[in-house]
Amino acid sequence: MTIERTPRSDKELWRSLASRPAVVPAAVSEMDLAAWLEGRLSEEAAAPVEAAVAADPGLRRAAFDLADILGKPLPAAPERMVVRARALVGFEAARTAPAGGLLGRWLKGGRLFAGQGYALQQGLMAVAALVVATGGFVVGGGLSESLAQQREGYARTETASTMTATTSNEVSEFFAGDGI
Amino acid sequence: MNQIDLRALAGGDKRTWDAFVIAAAPLINAVVRRTLGPYRLSEEDVMDAAQDVFVRLCAQDFRLLKTYDPARAGLPTWLSVVSRSCAIDHLRRRRQATEPIDDVPEAALGVEDRHVEKLKIPAGLLTARQTLVLSYLYDEERDVTEVAKLLSVDAQTIRSTHHKALLRLRAYFREDEPSGGG
Repeated sequence: MTIERTPRSDKELWRSLASRPAVVPAAVSEMDLAAWLEGRLSEEAAAPVEAAVAADPGLRRAAFDLADILGKPLPAAPERMVVRARALVGFEAARTAPAGGLLGRWLKGGRLFAGQGYALQQGLMAVAALVVATGGFVVGGGLSESLAQQREGYARTETASTMTATTSNEVSEFFAGDGI
Repeated sequence: MNQIDLRALAGGDKRTWDAFVIAAAPLINAVVRRTLGPYRLSEEDVMDAAQDVFVRLCAQDFRLLKTYDPARAGLPTWLSVVSRSCAIDHLRRRRQATEPIDDVPEAALGVEDRHVEKLKIPAGLLTARQTLVLSYLYDEERDVTEVAKLLSVDAQTIRSTHHKALLRLRAYFREDEPSGGG
């Protein structure tokens, strides 16, 4: 007596097999996957991508999802999404463009000290503070004038003191002459 | 989107970036929503994931954007792949171990039944294309025409690839072909 085995359908056969490869295929780059989606890869170049897609259910579904999205008109994105994304590039980028010196960069809205580092920024701030302080001091009279004033004041005091001493001597002589 | 001056964009030109954002936002929005859709995340999560895409594009002096090669694929296709990767990364960061099981889609919970010992297909028996076609037809239960469209070939090519693959499998595992076909 022989037992006749009912042939399995293609689907049953496939599902009875471990279709996942023993060795996990290498990760596929985004550029390779995009090229594969557009059918731009040669058979040889497509093989590793197709092995990776076949082994990953997420990638298999993603390929269909992306092909579907790319093939039809899309609704507009929310305005908030656009505003947030646009804000990502602004003055940070403008500063990298050549703009004719620090003043030019500043006028274009760039950050004056960008790229030169924090130390340079601190140094320039210190120099600026020194200039302002010196300017203020000069406007207020300056050190030499201040010393001159001090010297002059000292001289006046000295003169006054000498004159007082002379007067004092004359008075003493007057009283002495009168026998007092 | 293909009108964007890529050199100016990667150079950080503000006007070009703004034009790129306006052109790319609908695609990024669509891909992020499609990728995160099964996970029922909030609108704020979708916005954040989309912002992650833009951040990734301009981060480190536009390093990622500079890897794009227009000779290999169109900008929208590449951008859609990048957007999907970012959305998945966002999802991984977002998901917590304590997430209620009801919030996890069934597909994410699906695991292979390891109690059933399956016969392994030896390496080299099927080509990558044959494995992919069988996976799409039987694991994903896609239609022949859908697979043909995805792979940019005609439906007859898919049928032929399927047929050759099954012949190899049946020959290797000594399986008879069913009288009615698969």
